[in-house]
Amino acid sequence: MAVFMDLNVPFLPDRSDLRSVVETAAHLGFSTIALNYVFEPTAKKKQEIPTPTPINELIDQLPMVQGRSRPIRVLNRLTVLMSDASHFRPNAPEYRCFDLLAVQPTSEKLFHAACMVYDIDIICVPMTEKLPFFFKRAPINGAIDRGVVFEVSYSAAIRDSTMRRYTIANAVSLMESCKGKSVILSSAAQKALELRGPYDVTNLALLFGLSDGDAKEAVSSTCRAALLHAETRRTASGIIYTTRSQREAPQGSEDGRFESSHLYRRYRCLCCVAIELQWNKVMMSESNTPSGLYYWIVIYA
Amino acid sequence: MVRLKSRYLLCEVNVSDRSQLLLLDDRAIMVAVKAAVARTHGDYGAAMCSIRFCVKYLNAHTGIVFLRFPKRCYKLLWSALPFITSIETRGQKIPCFLNCLHVGGTIRTCQKFLIRYNTQQLHRMLPKCKSEEEKQQVRKAILSCSLTESKEAFEEDSESEGEEEEEE
Repeated sequence: MAVFMDLNVPFLPDRSDLRSVVETAAHLGFSTIALNYVFEPTAKKKQEIPTPTPINELIDQLPMVQGRSRPIRVLNRLTVLMSDASHFRPNAPEYRCFDLLAVQPTSEKLFHAACMVYDIDIICVPMTEKLPFFFKRAPINGAIDRGVVFEVSYSAAIRDSTMRRYTIANAVSLMESCKGKSVILSSAAQKALELRGPYDVTNLALLFGLSDGDAKEAVSSTCRAALLHAETRRTASGIIYTTRSQREAPQGSEDGRFESSHLYRRYRCLCCVAIELQWNKVMMSESNTPSGLYYWIVIYA
Repeated sequence: MVRLKSRYLLCEVNVSDRSQLLLLDDRAIMVAVKAAVARTHGDYGAAMCSIRFCVKYLNAHTGIVFLRFPKRCYKLLWSALPFITSIETRGQKIPCFLNCLHVGGTIRTCQKFLIRYNTQQLHRMLPKCKSEEEKQQVRKAILSCSLTESKEAFEEDSESEGEEEEEE
């Protein structure tokens, strides 16, 4: 069974609020959450893209996930609110600090571009207003083929009745076009009390027009697919991937090959991608330098 | 003989301040659920909710609630539960949310699950204990919960958990 994830928890400047949200998420059984930084470019003045604060500076000790003996995993995500095509700068170095990259387009043209062209992981569908455009089948199919996912957040629906109508209407019209595939459900909860448990979210998705199976995938495996997509984005076209092991060089370890389980997981992720894309061979090598151990993973296309 | 089938939802009431849980009673939860269903699903929902819906059990210490819904429409009624944001009781409004832990066909399966769940909670609590005495108490509570002495253990277990949490 795949683990549950909530890929949109807004970053709150107040530490104790943030802490209580993270603790509640762990208590409800979410294994991974993504702290969301929103960037809204305006035409008048140039703005700084926010930089993510490392999670160990925000919270001293991450809470344990309900039912598992592992602390919760916290990622960083950037959402760009786009009202103009110039707002998204591909290959901006600032984007590289984030684990996930999302855009929220406000016009049909931008939506089309986001689905077909931009190198992103998540497209947010606005939930707090009437949909400014209709969803067309072609760009949505393009997005599904590229592995980009659509996000529906439910906390606006919890807040008040008008938002609930917009959320359900927008979500249903999205599901009609994408047939329930590659959709993720996330909270966007400003307070700890706006989070909901994974099973409740799954059942809530029935109102959004998802079937049982699709709804469960929307909180688990589609989120994982989005994370894997993000990993390939961060590498050189998903072909070569280098990482530095956190520890010092290994000293006569027994298996020797994978020092940290973290690295091993990444290697396996990449292998999965390689199989999916029908690459022929995946090779992993390591080089020992004075500054630490480097692993090289080379995938022959 | 065919029995009337129901679904039992085992829910946990999550509040920010745990002492407020003691204010809860069956009636308040029933009213809150009915109001949420009527708000989300209108008259149809309210009608479905009036058939065999009841609050079977409430543990005010741990905030565990059993809800009984008729089987044919439990999904519809369940989909209204996330929209509960507060429960009004004794003139106070408690901001809270319901988190569904388990859906069962009989009370017995829910009870089995609840015992397992509460044991898990005690395990989570163990590293947080401050003094050795508290630790011993939690350990004893963990050992005492089993299914053979089901009803008593069940009561004891949830009671002791409530106490532990108050101590912290």
